[in-house]
Amino acid sequence: MAEQGLPTEKIVAPTSAPDDVLRVEHISKSFGPTTALRDVNLHLRKGEVLGLLGDNGSGKSTLIKIICGFQKQDSGQMFLHGEPFEPKSVDDARAQGIDAVYQDLALVDELSVYHNMFLRRERVRVPIPFLNNALMRRETRKALDDIGINIPRLDVPVARLSGGQRQAIAVARTVSGDANILLLDEPLAAMGAKEGGQILELIERLKEDGEVTVMMILHNYAHVFATCDRVNLLQDGVIALDKPTAETSVDELNEIVVEEYRRARAAAIAEDTAAQAAAAAAAAATAS
Amino acid sequence: MAVASGSEVPAQSPPEGPASTSRALGGGALKIVRGFLTLREGSIIVVAIVTAVYFSANAKNFATLSNFKTLLPYFAPLAILGAGEVFVMINGEIDLSIGAVYLLSPFVFYKLNQAGVPLVPAVVLSLFVSMAVGAINGFFVAVIGISSFVTTLGMLFTLDGLTLIISHTAPVATPGTSALHVNSFAQVFGGGTYSELIWALGIVVILQAVLTFTRWGVYTVAVGGNRLGSAEAGIRVRLVLIRNFVLCATCAGLVGILEAVRAVTATPDPSGSNDILFQGIAAAVIGGTLLRGGSGTVVGALIGALFLGVLHDGLIIQGVSANYLDLYLGLAILIAMSVNVYVQRVRTGSGLG
Repeated sequence: MAEQGLPTEKIVAPTSAPDDVLRVEHISKSFGPTTALRDVNLHLRKGEVLGLLGDNGSGKSTLIKIICGFQKQDSGQMFLHGEPFEPKSVDDARAQGIDAVYQDLALVDELSVYHNMFLRRERVRVPIPFLNNALMRRETRKALDDIGINIPRLDVPVARLSGGQRQAIAVARTVSGDANILLLDEPLAAMGAKEGGQILELIERLKEDGEVTVMMILHNYAHVFATCDRVNLLQDGVIALDKPTAETSVDELNEIVVEEYRRARAAAIAEDTAAQAAAAAAAAATAS
Repeated sequence: MAVASGSEVPAQSPPEGPASTSRALGGGALKIVRGFLTLREGSIIVVAIVTAVYFSANAKNFATLSNFKTLLPYFAPLAILGAGEVFVMINGEIDLSIGAVYLLSPFVFYKLNQAGVPLVPAVVLSLFVSMAVGAINGFFVAVIGISSFVTTLGMLFTLDGLTLIISHTAPVATPGTSALHVNSFAQVFGGGTYSELIWALGIVVILQAVLTFTRWGVYTVAVGGNRLGSAEAGIRVRLVLIRNFVLCATCAGLVGILEAVRAVTATPDPSGSNDILFQGIAAAVIGGTLLRGGSGTVVGALIGALFLGVLHDGLIIQGVSANYLDLYLGLAILIAMSVNVYVQRVRTGSGLG
């Protein structure tokens, strides 16, 4: 496995399959001088759970934000069910069935649990569009019960809740919507083992239903191998590895990451040496 | 007990358990007090009532109808200004141009009427001008990205200057009013004894409903509490900001006209309007609205304005020398706010609400 080395410059696996719901082609994105994504090709097959891996700062979150319409790519195209997909806003992507859980959770501390659950999807009455708080409270209770997350009071501001509970609300909010493509950015980061297990169970159930496609950013390889059908590794702004989970191993993934660190360290040392040489040369020049 | 638990949310009752039954009576009274303080405005209501009781006991003409009428113009305009400002402040922004809009709008009204526009349409058009000012404020803040403090400070000077130019620094008689007789137009737009009070109460009720029961309100809190998160959730943050600046400026423009009608003349006096600006912001802040955003109520601004009015009026009735008035006012605001903050700390520490 390790003999495969580091295919950072070429794309490893086919970037399309007949049952793709989403295809991402040649996406690039820079923030000023920093290149987050260089040339990303990726596809999502109907009903699968794709694990997106990569080092911190490798552009995983940026990729999710582009797909869900929060940011716009510099170049490249996306296709949703074979049609060109150019989301104009988060609302637009959501209307087309794509929704995300962000790393920062996008919760408002001052708002109640159920107002956060329905943020931007508020239920209102007719004809006067007043908030239907009773309905939102009921549906929130139901959605949380479905996941098995216990939050005793739904009218407290979410500032009062634990990190795991807050994360559960963010996940429940996205999962209980109408989206059929879910993008989850580290959905288990702040959770204890029990809550995390419940979220993974929920994703397992979604997979069994087969209607929902999931792309998840995960850092814990145990979670990856427990839940994901396929993994993609994002490295240096491209997808450096694309394999079914069954065909790869913790060792292979580790090896790639370790190799990346080794390379980064070698580069840093080379830079240091060059700088020292330059300094020595400069010193020699002034001495003479 | 029944009253107390009724005021609580039902979900609160199960974990109570049997412990509370034995001291039901004392516990019930305590619970009512604590439940009351749970309201965000609870503490300032207490402070306002204490102030009113103090003046009633110490100044013999305070608790009279005629004094209540004297008090109205001190607080009704501030309640309306504060109500608009609350929306901007919950957004985490501030509007310093409300005094300048207040100054400008009666002159716009006057010019339009001079140009032949009938009274009521002229009022409506001047309110549109105020809205445009709010939209410009919002544009600079939300789209260009200048801080609201700087933007609205610039707008303050711009509009003060504009008012001096179009008025030639001379006061004018407010159209539709006369010193001798209050006609039906003046009755409605600030001239009637209770006109400003009715406007203030109506606006406070409507805006509090908007804040509590509509998407507009939820998005206002969301943008003030977590701007990036709101954007990620799909809320159009810029739109929310702009429309709150528009709302705030509209309130200020309306108050300008109401006050000009009440006073029968409009005076181009920027120092007076700056005073109004700070009192409007004080009403909002005293009423519990946070400068950092995310939290606040319109009813709080009404009570904050009432507190300022009671204090101002009470000090005058007690015969405090004009030289001491601002000093006492300032100290009283600091003391009231300290009590307010302390009570709020007790409240959040109590784990209620």
